[in-house]
Amino acid sequence: MNVRKLVSIAILLTAAAALVFSGGAAEQVEVEVDPPGGREFDWRQYEGTTLVFNFPNHVHYNAMLEAGVLEDFEALTGINVEADRMQYMNMHDAQVLEMSKPVGDYDLISMVVMWKAEYALGGMIRPLESFFDDPSLTLPDYRFDDLVPAYVEVTGIAGGENIYKDGPGAQLYGVPFGSETSFMIYRTDVFEEHGLEVPETYDELTETARYIYEEVPDTYGLTMRAASGHHATHAWLLHASPYGATVFDENWEPAFTSPESIETIEFMKKMIDYGPPGMEGFTQDEEFAAFLQGDAAIYLDASVFAGPAKDPAQSRVHDRIGFALHPRQRTPLAETGGFGIAIPENSQNAEAAFLLMQYLTLPEVEREIVLAGGAPFRMSTVEDSSLYDEYPEFEVLADQLEHANPDWRPIIPEWGDINNMLGIAINQALTGAKTPEQAMEDVYEPIRNVMIRAGYID
Amino acid sequence: MRKSSVPGRKNSAYLFLAPAASILLLVLMVPIFNTLRLSFFEWTMRALTEPPTFVGFRNFRELFGSANFQESIRVTITFSLSVVAIELLLGTVLALLLEGEFKGMRLFRTLFVLPIMIAPVVVGIMWRFMYHPSYGKINYFLGFIGLGPYGWLSNPDLALRSVIIADIWQWTPFVFLLVLAGLQGVPKDVMEAATVDGTNYFQTLLYIKLPFISAVLGITAVLRLIDSFRSLVVIYNMTGGGPGVSTEIMSIHLFKTAFTSQRLGLASAVAVILLLLIAVFASVFIRNSLKEERR
Repeated sequence: MNVRKLVSIAILLTAAAALVFSGGAAEQVEVEVDPPGGREFDWRQYEGTTLVFNFPNHVHYNAMLEAGVLEDFEALTGINVEADRMQYMNMHDAQVLEMSKPVGDYDLISMVVMWKAEYALGGMIRPLESFFDDPSLTLPDYRFDDLVPAYVEVTGIAGGENIYKDGPGAQLYGVPFGSETSFMIYRTDVFEEHGLEVPETYDELTETARYIYEEVPDTYGLTMRAASGHHATHAWLLHASPYGATVFDENWEPAFTSPESIETIEFMKKMIDYGPPGMEGFTQDEEFAAFLQGDAAIYLDASVFAGPAKDPAQSRVHDRIGFALHPRQRTPLAETGGFGIAIPENSQNAEAAFLLMQYLTLPEVEREIVLAGGAPFRMSTVEDSSLYDEYPEFEVLADQLEHANPDWRPIIPEWGDINNMLGIAINQALTGAKTPEQAMEDVYEPIRNVMIRAGYID
Repeated sequence: MRKSSVPGRKNSAYLFLAPAASILLLVLMVPIFNTLRLSFFEWTMRALTEPPTFVGFRNFRELFGSANFQESIRVTITFSLSVVAIELLLGTVLALLLEGEFKGMRLFRTLFVLPIMIAPVVVGIMWRFMYHPSYGKINYFLGFIGLGPYGWLSNPDLALRSVIIADIWQWTPFVFLLVLAGLQGVPKDVMEAATVDGTNYFQTLLYIKLPFISAVLGITAVLRLIDSFRSLVVIYNMTGGGPGVSTEIMSIHLFKTAFTSQRLGLASAVAVILLLLIAVFASVFIRNSLKEERR
């Protein structure tokens, strides 16, 4: 054996030893992180199960996908999750049809809050109390009380005397995930350049929108959704709440012909005048786009829009925006809405689905989703001042949640029908096809008939 | 002998027809019968597991008392008659212009029929973008000559016209194709004889070509009429029936009644009325085109 061969062998042996020992050393220094809930909780009790999760193409759920938490859940539990993502307005039909079968394919669904009472009273989703009472299924440190109370009520509580609100007989059917309140986002550059004050009342908002429309070149006032049907009703409710208008009075008689309601529509008509062209046909996507493209200087709607508004990939104005409270008029009330997650009654994997529901709403997982652009739903996140530099909207959100109104819209099971009828009438008023008074008067009897048929009034 | 064989032949004819007839009965008549039956019931999607409740003619009374439903009938008839008339006219004119053979004609014809091949949902979204008041191409180009911006899909006076234009864009090529096929069936010897007799273009068109293709035009009109009455996807994606109910044709009204209001009995009643309306209009069209044919 010559010297060269000996040297080669020595080098190879040294390299091999280095690889072996370095690997060993790495193993020794690796710190094992406790899974959420600690080591005692059996995350793998439903290993091998496949869950189907139906959720929307929505800011919060997109952040969930981007954060990779579904993959983390699969690795932690050995449960396979099949994602069924849809446009949110199409989810209702698919869910109702799926949940009407004896055995359904969905194990976990995301539901818009306005479907909650319909699903709960129709026996389509499961009450969650028995799951939360089962120590083998519930994490000891889940911290349910940390979930934003107004969001819990609006997304999860149903079925009692008050139908969609908390009260005698009501149960928990869902937990917030993608929930929202409303606040204002405005263009700081426009406001600073023109010496505008951030509006605190609707009168001030009207005046500010008018000023921007008339004085700021190529910029419009408020962006608002207003398309016929759901979008117009949503916008009306958003502004009707501060104006003190409601859909029904305390006896379930229609109340939307009130002066406050007409005043709300008159305000919306002014916003159409001062807003981007064609705003009377805007859906939510177009409402968003008008702000993201820099066409409109003010946004006043769901708080979940903060993520896209700050995202440089989506927003042309991401570096010039400020956040403020929803203006008040007669009341300071803001909306509550968005999505919650629930387990269908006909799911064959309800326990495993509960693990996923719980995992997605854990404090540490919520934090990951929020960092990826999702909407916070735990008070500990909203009130964490260390986040305020990067997430200034949380500071506003913490104040806004004090005025978040879980009774913002009457989400009785018949709401889908009423929502559509009211939205057509409001849109007719906004486009000038009818006067506000005439539009509301024309839809009064049809909506009253819905309430008679459903047994609320005689 | 011949006489006695007829019943046997008849029986075997029925036997051969039976499988096709039973399948047709199953897939066509059963759903139609069920829809008709359900139109006399109240049945909500919120309680699909509970049996429907018989309500007699209440659904029909409710529909004919509803301003929105009456408007949707008016919108449907306006939409259908407009698109059928304009598409027939444009399709025929284009087929007459392009019936000859010249260089690049095949490629041109292929390109021309592309709109029919595009999925309706894409057509709806595409036109929605083109009509967009701020970012749409139509307002963009109109801006160069100082016009607009117009809310093509949000203005109640413009929305139905805008939707009609989109339908014409998609379906005129269909009429063009059928009429072109009809024109190519005009016998050459008749055309040559007419030329020898010294007829000009318009005389040939009026006395030879149009009479020859009248049956094709009739059947095309019926097909487009039936199809336009059932239009849903393109309009739904463009306007969702709005603004107000100004583009809410009956199929959108039906869809919303079933899936938004979740009233399957009432939606069935809309479907029955829609079916009757199509049957009436189609039979008038067919009868007229047959009359033309007999002449």
